Amino acid sequence: MNDRECSRIFENELVKCSRCGSCRSICPVSLAENAENATPRSKVRMIEAVLEGELALTPGVQARFDKCLLCKACKANCGGGVATDELILGSRINLVKRNGLNPVKRLAFTSLRYRKLFDLGLKLGAAFQGLIFKDLPDGSGKVARIPLPAAGLNLRRVVPNLTTSPLRTRLPAVNKAKTPETKGRVVFFTGCTLNYMYPQAGEAVVNILTGNGYEVIIPPEQCCCGTPAFTSGDAATGRVLAEQNVRAIGAYKYDHVVTACSSCGAALLAEYGRLLEGSPLLEDWRQLSGKVLDIAQFVVRHCDMTKFGSLPLKITYHDACHLVRGMKVSAEPREIFRAIPGLEYAEMKDADRCCGAGGTFSAVYYELSRKINDWKLDNAEATGMDYVVAGCSACRMHITDGLSQRSSKMKVLHTAEVVAMAYEAGRKG
Amino acid sequence: MLTSSVISELKAIVGSGYVLTDQEDLIIYSNDATVFNHLPAAVVQPANRDEVAAVVKVAAARNIPVTPRGAGTCLSGGAVPLKGGIVLDLARLNKIRTLDAARKIVVAEAGVVTFEITSQAAKLGLLYPPDPSSLKESTIGGNVAECAGGPKGVKYGITRNFVLGLEAVLPDGTIVETGNAVDGDMCGPDWTMLITGSEGTMAIVTAVTLRLVPMPETKKTMLATFDRLENAAKTVSVTMGAGIIPTTLELMDNLSIVAVEKAVRIGLPVEAAGLLLIEVDGVPSTVEENARRVSEICRECGAMEVKIAQSAAEAEDLWVARRAVAKAFGQIAPCKFAEDSTVPRSLIPLLVDKCLEIQKKYDLPMVIVGHAGDGSMHPTIMFDKRDKDAVARAEKALDEVHIVTLELGGTLSGEHGIGSAKAPYLRAEMGPVGYKLGQDVKAALDPQGIMNPGKMFNYEGALH
Repeated sequence: MNDRECSRIFENELVKCSRCGSCRSICPVSLAENAENATPRSKVRMIEAVLEGELALTPGVQARFDKCLLCKACKANCGGGVATDELILGSRINLVKRNGLNPVKRLAFTSLRYRKLFDLGLKLGAAFQGLIFKDLPDGSGKVARIPLPAAGLNLRRVVPNLTTSPLRTRLPAVNKAKTPETKGRVVFFTGCTLNYMYPQAGEAVVNILTGNGYEVIIPPEQCCCGTPAFTSGDAATGRVLAEQNVRAIGAYKYDHVVTACSSCGAALLAEYGRLLEGSPLLEDWRQLSGKVLDIAQFVVRHCDMTKFGSLPLKITYHDACHLVRGMKVSAEPREIFRAIPGLEYAEMKDADRCCGAGGTFSAVYYELSRKINDWKLDNAEATGMDYVVAGCSACRMHITDGLSQRSSKMKVLHTAEVVAMAYEAGRKG
Repeated sequence: MLTSSVISELKAIVGSGYVLTDQEDLIIYSNDATVFNHLPAAVVQPANRDEVAAVVKVAAARNIPVTPRGAGTCLSGGAVPLKGGIVLDLARLNKIRTLDAARKIVVAEAGVVTFEITSQAAKLGLLYPPDPSSLKESTIGGNVAECAGGPKGVKYGITRNFVLGLEAVLPDGTIVETGNAVDGDMCGPDWTMLITGSEGTMAIVTAVTLRLVPMPETKKTMLATFDRLENAAKTVSVTMGAGIIPTTLELMDNLSIVAVEKAVRIGLPVEAAGLLLIEVDGVPSTVEENARRVSEICRECGAMEVKIAQSAAEAEDLWVARRAVAKAFGQIAPCKFAEDSTVPRSLIPLLVDKCLEIQKKYDLPMVIVGHAGDGSMHPTIMFDKRDKDAVARAEKALDEVHIVTLELGGTLSGEHGIGSAKAPYLRAEMGPVGYKLGQDVKAALDPQGIMNPGKMFNYEGALH
């Protein structure tokens, strides 16, 4: 976002805020902190003060703007329709320009720009993770042996195992349809978490698509979608990554682009528009954007849901913020669950409230994000189901961590894994 | 500015993390839900009554202004620290001390969010009726201080009707307990009612004892549409005149119907001049009979259509329109003056007429919605604050709305409070003797004038 666009958005949005304070009961951070200086309204107030010259873009302002999950709940519930998420993103970009990035983030985002370096870093990480982390007895993840506050690793925090063979090294770039006829070509944008942490969920996506007659392209040149960078205010890195992905996907002919990570999906679908302002690739992105579907949408629209076999799982569903409010996907997963024979489904209270992960938020404010996550877990456990299903691996990571902390019996699955299991059950009859 | 020794004293009382003096925080706590701002010198966040009392003692010893604050959702400027000094943020006093189903009372600290009381009471089959639209954010201390209302006011009354007793810190830092949990018990003048609605100008409420009522067994929701707004208004008077007391009687005018339909697309009749959302509650037999009679009255008064919800889901659908009003306002213009002019019920048609005239005169959209059942209307003047000319016209229109309300024998505030927003008209409403009495009472309780200064009887601007 350039300065001109930024001030235009600011002006149009600020005027709409009536300061009513209804965001207090919606914003998970405000609820957890129970203080005015954590509310979305207070951020609007600070921007107003900055524009009126009463306040400089101080590190104090930056700290207060960092305390936001970007869950978009305030915007969705705002009477005046204030696009608080845009205001916060725009402000973070300006604050980073002025005060610089937090050094840990700077290092992380630099490696994101260099895909191979990032690849190497995470592979090395996988090989050496035993030095820093110890395995949990049930194999569901790891906890840090020593506190690494700089990396946002609290001693308690359970992080998933980094795989030694990422998804994109397990699967070829082109995966043929498993049906006699090919219905179309799908580009699968894997994103980082499916590639490095949950490759089994990525494989599930590919199995669903190829099993329904689609050829699946996994462009090897794709890189991080850029969400962690641009949501932290590093628009330059965000743009480099957006351009790289638009080029990587554009190198193929395709009918659809499928994502299975809500943040990647929302970035490809909408957020890139802002990042690519003035870029020669803007038009290419527009073409691409019209073809982006989350895997749940794709299943409902293009897959045969009559082939689901009986799957006696007891599940509840968590709406990832960037899926329900970023991509407007919430009916589809529920439609899928209703279509699976034998599956027992119970809706949890506040299913669409943020789980507290918020990307780098949970690294910087771990205890706060844990408190927010605990509400989610209480609601999930209250359903009496065995699994929490989500369409986002960042949520999955944070929910898994929380469940492990409280020694819960509940497990987490990706929507795609449930769908793939239902198809598998169907094939076995 | 507070000296560093005062700041240290305050930190010693509440803990250093709970005294905020960063410029960022001072700006954040400089306003409530109104357009007014003033920077405090510090924000202090006590954890309990004794810390509140200790902070007030420090302030009293040094003549430092103290402005109490709940959730900062006030619509009359009550939480704006007009004279600087200390903003006393009561959010941390958030415990429900007692919830007694047998005695039907709840004792809650000032910072408890009102919805928490409503929800906890409901678990025991009890109802706390006051339901301001800020219910989910605003605190019970703020509700009592401002005497909040809500749609259920028609049948049940407003916050004042549910306050049995208070625990409050007086301007010298002493603690007083007023009233008690025994319904109807009274010794001497009613200090509880003196503090209720005094907007933090006479004492700081730290805990409240509230009366609860049994949850009604059932309810019935209806939606009536009218081709003339006067007919909708007439329906209100006739219904009440017939001895039926609905729980809710909400009115929406054409502009709000059109805006809501544009915002949520639920198939509202955009040609209708007015719409009434009516709810009756009680035991099943009475509810059925009242619903039938109300729908008859609607038709007799010229309703084009009356829908009666047949299920809870249908009732929820009928409420969608009313609930979407606030959201829909944004479709008309970004900024608003949301008033709460209250007139005798029978005069609602007249108030609506006058508002329509004012709307024409100043060429600004004015949406008219409100709790018609108890005469508490919300004529809402819409404008864009970047248009200075529109702001000037909006202020004049607002002025006229206040005057018209008083001329009709109404009151400036049905539920939002006086604060500084309506203080210029307070003398006109109370009369010179009543106003002077208010000033004297305020001076007797707060001789230094440190409690929420510049509001109500201590307003320093020109009076009408």
